[in-house]
Amino acid sequence: MSVVVCSWGNTVERGTEEVLTAARAYSVAAGLPLRWVVAGTDCEAVRGLAARYGVAAVDLISHPKLAGYGPDALTEALARYFAQVQAAAVLLNQTAESRLVAPRLATRLGGAVVTNVFALRHEGGALHVSATAYGGDTHATYRMPAKNSIVCVATTTLAAEHAAAPTEPQCNPVDVDLGAVEERFKVTAAPKAEGPRLEDAEIIVGGGRGLGKADNLGLIRDLAAALGGMWGGSRLLVDDGWIDASRQIGLTGKITRPRLYVAAGISGASQHMAGCSAAKTIVAINKDRDAAIFRYARFGIVGDCLEVIPELIKAARGG
Amino acid sequence: MRTRLSGATPAAWISKAKNEPMRIVVCVKEVLDPNAVNNLALAGKLRIGADGRTLDVASVPRLINGYDEQGMEVALRIRDAGVECRIAVVSIGGDQQAVLRHCAALGADEIVAIDPAGAELDCEAVAKLLAAWIKGSGGADLVLCGRQASDDDQGVVPVLLAEKLGLPAVLFARAVEVSGTSLRVTRVTSDGDEVVQGAMPALVTVSNEVGVPRFPTAKSKMAARKMAPVAVTAASLGLSAGDLAPTVALVKQQLPVVAGNCEFLQGSAPEVAQTLIARLRADGVI
Repeated sequence: MSVVVCSWGNTVERGTEEVLTAARAYSVAAGLPLRWVVAGTDCEAVRGLAARYGVAAVDLISHPKLAGYGPDALTEALARYFAQVQAAAVLLNQTAESRLVAPRLATRLGGAVVTNVFALRHEGGALHVSATAYGGDTHATYRMPAKNSIVCVATTTLAAEHAAAPTEPQCNPVDVDLGAVEERFKVTAAPKAEGPRLEDAEIIVGGGRGLGKADNLGLIRDLAAALGGMWGGSRLLVDDGWIDASRQIGLTGKITRPRLYVAAGISGASQHMAGCSAAKTIVAINKDRDAAIFRYARFGIVGDCLEVIPELIKAARGG
Repeated sequence: MRTRLSGATPAAWISKAKNEPMRIVVCVKEVLDPNAVNNLALAGKLRIGADGRTLDVASVPRLINGYDEQGMEVALRIRDAGVECRIAVVSIGGDQQAVLRHCAALGADEIVAIDPAGAELDCEAVAKLLAAWIKGSGGADLVLCGRQASDDDQGVVPVLLAEKLGLPAVLFARAVEVSGTSLRVTRVTSDGDEVVQGAMPALVTVSNEVGVPRFPTAKSKMAARKMAPVAVTAASLGLSAGDLAPTVALVKQQLPVVAGNCEFLQGSAPEVAQTLIARLRADGVI
């Protein structure tokens, strides 16, 4: 039995190092070896990382049908792999893709799946996972089966940490037969590259209903520009039709991890914080001194956004 | 050509007469009002019950999961687009009348409540019940679910259900178009919208980008009052208590503690702005 990290593609996604860190901690606690299975074509891209994070072995599933992300081929490939490699727990970096692949894999393996996981513990011989619920208002702990427990890890609040002693993982090519698999749904229009992504932004200004009206969004845009960053908003602004869903920051929107997040007129609801609480520094501007957002903030300004933001723009442009 | 599920495996989907309308099954869950829960949390008044596992929520209203309501909205938009279809809405729980009647008032042709007889269900058991009912009730051309429920936020039931029905699952739809037996779905992804196309039968989960769902009219609400949900038991679906025993057990639920380390900047708007920018520059944040 092993603890297995599972990923795909030839680029290492953000969050992978945090998943490796969590997987290593759990594998040590459970006394099981740590493996990393990659569906892709390039082992070298992951081997250095695997070594630094204490992975014992890397398994590489290469197949022409795995060249692009195709959920049907990927599920089939992983199901066949896990028929050979017995896994106590399988950890995936939680993304839109893994939210489809993880439950499908759980069904194929006769296992179980939990998503939104931020902590794993070995307790009384069993895997216990903690996951956010109610948009982050509560934390739920689940006990999972001893075999084939599939865990989608939400990495925004986790920290990556190298192993004390690096390993020298071997790279094992794995053959799978995907002869009969065809994707049942085909992509007819890929997402258009819409410039930089909020997920990758280092500085973000986020607006909420405290801005008063849609016309005041210009302040958010200008402050973001003055700080050299991007802007977004809470789901309420999407629901109100002020902003496009592509700018929504939160549990069901963009999950960001900037260096600086400026929350303007945002109350700090858990659903929103799920998308920005990983920011290294949070600045909050809110009229209500008791607003939840100040619990997350490093710096707080109690005041009206409409008065404070123009001054911030001036100060940021000067000097 | 319509295809319907009548057995346990994808191979058992059978062709039906061309003139039979498409069947859409919408799966809905009743949840605690997420805004009410959130307001309690923001006010520091959210509490965990004596069992240490569930919320103490005597005062919180229950309503239809918002994403599921948007699933119902997508079904209605398909009908609006001129597709002849019958819409069946299914929920699990003994007392789902309000949620199901809401869907009936919106235009559901059939409402069904599956009673799990008090058993605590995990996602797998929920998917088993839904799959058994769908298979036994004539199958579906399209199954619509919300992307997740706003209580546990797991979002895995739809995919487990799709697997049990042998269907492809397309997640996070903002728009769904039906053309003959083909389905075109616009998905929300982190890189922008993606359009995928495939054949029905299929399962689609619906994201909040679908937009605000419609309200039932007063007249349709009145009419829906007369519509009683079809009551289905786990036993009638051939599922025993053992079949539904959870493999994932909720052990406990807690309220997160946020450390709180905020330095409040004092002074006039220009003063706090200058101070803040200076501090951020000094700390190398900007």
